[in-house]
Amino acid sequence: MRFDQSLATVPDRVETLSWLPHDPLLALVFQFGLLIIACSMLMLVAVFVLRIRLVLRQRREKRFAAAWQPLLAECVYQVPETLPQVPRAMRYHFLKLWNYHHESLVGSARKNLEQLAYALKLEEISRDLLHQSDLRSKLIAIVTLGHLGDRTQWHELRALVADPSPMLSLAAVRALLDIDAGATLTWLVTVMASREDWPLARIVAMLKEAGPGRVTLPLIAATEAAAGVEGDARQVVRLLRMMEVAHTESIGAVVGRIVRAATDPEVVAAGLRLIQDPHDLELVRSHLAHESWFVRVSAVRVLGRIGEPADRVVLTNMLGDRHWWVRYHAARALIALPFTSLADLEIIRAGLPDRFAADMLGQAIAEARTA
Amino acid sequence: MNSMSELAIGLQWFFMLYFIGINCGYLMLNVLSLGSLKRYVESHSLDDLPRSVSGFEPPVSVLVPAYNEEATIGGSVRSMLQLNYPDYEVVVINDGSKDGTMDALRREFALVPFPEAYWQRLPAQPVRAIYRSTSHPSLRVIDKENGGKADALNAGINAARYPLFCGVDADSVLERDSLKRVVEPFLEDPRTIASGGTVRIANGCTVDNGFLTSVGLPRNPLALLQIVEYLRAFLFGRLGWSPLNAVLIISGAFGIFRKDVVVAAGGYRRDTVGEDMELVVRLHRLHRTRRIPYRIVFVPDPICWTEAPESLRVLKNQRVRWQRGLSESLTMNLGLLFHPRGGAAGWLAFPFMVVFEWLGPLIEVAGYVFMITAFIFGVVSTEAFITFMLVAFGFGLVLSVSSLLLEELSFHIYPKPHQIGVLLLMVIIENFGYRQINSLWRLWGLLLWMFRSKARWGDMKRTASWQSGGGAK
Repeated sequence: MRFDQSLATVPDRVETLSWLPHDPLLALVFQFGLLIIACSMLMLVAVFVLRIRLVLRQRREKRFAAAWQPLLAECVYQVPETLPQVPRAMRYHFLKLWNYHHESLVGSARKNLEQLAYALKLEEISRDLLHQSDLRSKLIAIVTLGHLGDRTQWHELRALVADPSPMLSLAAVRALLDIDAGATLTWLVTVMASREDWPLARIVAMLKEAGPGRVTLPLIAATEAAAGVEGDARQVVRLLRMMEVAHTESIGAVVGRIVRAATDPEVVAAGLRLIQDPHDLELVRSHLAHESWFVRVSAVRVLGRIGEPADRVVLTNMLGDRHWWVRYHAARALIALPFTSLADLEIIRAGLPDRFAADMLGQAIAEARTA
Repeated sequence: MNSMSELAIGLQWFFMLYFIGINCGYLMLNVLSLGSLKRYVESHSLDDLPRSVSGFEPPVSVLVPAYNEEATIGGSVRSMLQLNYPDYEVVVINDGSKDGTMDALRREFALVPFPEAYWQRLPAQPVRAIYRSTSHPSLRVIDKENGGKADALNAGINAARYPLFCGVDADSVLERDSLKRVVEPFLEDPRTIASGGTVRIANGCTVDNGFLTSVGLPRNPLALLQIVEYLRAFLFGRLGWSPLNAVLIISGAFGIFRKDVVVAAGGYRRDTVGEDMELVVRLHRLHRTRRIPYRIVFVPDPICWTEAPESLRVLKNQRVRWQRGLSESLTMNLGLLFHPRGGAAGWLAFPFMVVFEWLGPLIEVAGYVFMITAFIFGVVSTEAFITFMLVAFGFGLVLSVSSLLLEELSFHIYPKPHQIGVLLLMVIIENFGYRQINSLWRLWGLLLWMFRSKARWGDMKRTASWQSGGGAK
């Protein structure tokens, strides 16, 4: 039978299906309903198949972990002499297990794990996975290459830093820092400041891991450059937040310069948070009357850290600030001043004419007592 | 007679097309959810490695409004005090409970009165006293006059110390890393102002020392049916809207918000029973109309477990309340509907909610009543009646099975294969009565809202059987 003949007989054949509604529109909806139910049945089967696959996979992983966990544990002391092969199907699972141990251990145990990795050619497996299309494989490959300090993929990892996916690009950043933090930070800090899709908390954690010795100079250079460009306030704020993990004694001069020159309150507040040098006290005090409450909060917090006996009066006055958070931090700063006892503060509190100020100081004293 | 028949046929097609339309809409959401879920699971595949926690996450105030929660408050607060998160505080707000909630808190957590300079930024009923725990320094309790859940949350926001706050129901049991997971969108995108996670049903599970130790299924059939319903509601009812930045509901059981944004928006409205949804819809409206960039995100991770009603009466009350809450949330923010700057929230999610969720029960119940009555009286043909029922049942089935499929593709919360079998059975059973009775209750809620009948919160009797580990299958 020719195709067009076959098509021509379709309506006749449909008519022979007596259980279908006679109204063609109704019949269409009816068939649509049947199709939907058939889809449901297929999905139902898919749920079962997926569950069976999951159970089998979990059993396989359990057996694999039972065989490998003792070997990985042995690595704390020495690399086992004989090692089983890692089956292709278990490559991802093994890499995850290995990375978990690597991140949990330190010192010679970690070195042993790296020896084990080279014995099992994990660097080759990771390079292979790095070029796969799925995100999961790419991520585990990047993390492993970083932990192994594998320089062969440096250019690929550096290219991934520009990837629009924050997950992928940040994994590449971490790997590059693991491989050679010194060489990476010189160019990476400015990227860190400009990529606002990279969570600051993660960046600061990475910089902290790299250590103040490595991060301080690149941060200073990048901050000074950003501060010199008009309209880069957001980048300067990000860089100042990153400086919280830098050597405090090295950043004082640049922070002081930025705070003096800044007009953006966010920059001023972020800069004030970093001030540690008592020589900058006048600069800090000059911001106690700033129109932005968060700048005043930063200023009173610095006074609590490095203030002089004379600042007790200044902070007591700040207890009457119009903003709750300024009053709260002024009270806490008074508590933190090294030359003021709680008994002194009770006396100050009793003499306060402002009920809100007295209440706030009362709260701070109670907090100090229960801490 | 002829015109009557034409009207009947017209109505028959209206209801049929409505059912097809609503379910096709849900199927579209399902497809969107599938993509989101795949991306989410892949991008969080390394979250269990030790270095995934930075230690620099923003601090969070966990707010726990409690009204007559004597049975569960101790366990819930204990679990909240053991969360895996670097910096957070727990603020319990006793909203004038009439039972022993306050005594239970005093006893369990060694509370002492604390002279706090309470800052009344948002309207709330007077605070009687503020307590601090001597055994858990990060716990404070606000004892206040009864004012409802929204009022209690406002009081909690007033007392909160940190830039993010997380509203948690007192009967909720949280996963240890629930805060970490729900805070993540705030880290990933500074425009994020709110984020919510998936709520699952705790009935049948075992809870030990405030934490879920094993996942089980309840014996109660109503609770079982609600498990399928929750899967559907969260895995694609909310996740589907997230990539479009059009999530209109963040469950009151667990949701994180930026405090400054909520305070600027005026806090929770105290004249609605759907304060959680109303706040989210209002945040959309205010940010869209004022052109302020923002994100409201849904995280698919199962992070919070809650007790589901096990009696028809309590379930009915809950559903009536939800429908009233929905009605209030939508009508209080009608300005978002088709607003020129409304985006996906105003042009897709809001109209979807209006047509399918808000007015849906009215049309669904009318559809069933019309088709059955018309069939009995011979106005609608047997063929049309069977076709209608086939479509209604078929779509109900496909949506529920697909949510189970999404669950199986992602989190595998129910570990035993027979549990999946039971849930699949529920997927079929729920189409024969449960969904229809739900539509009836929701219609009742809609009518009560229309006639402005007064509503209250907290009338659910908690059994907390799962806290002692009972009932697991």
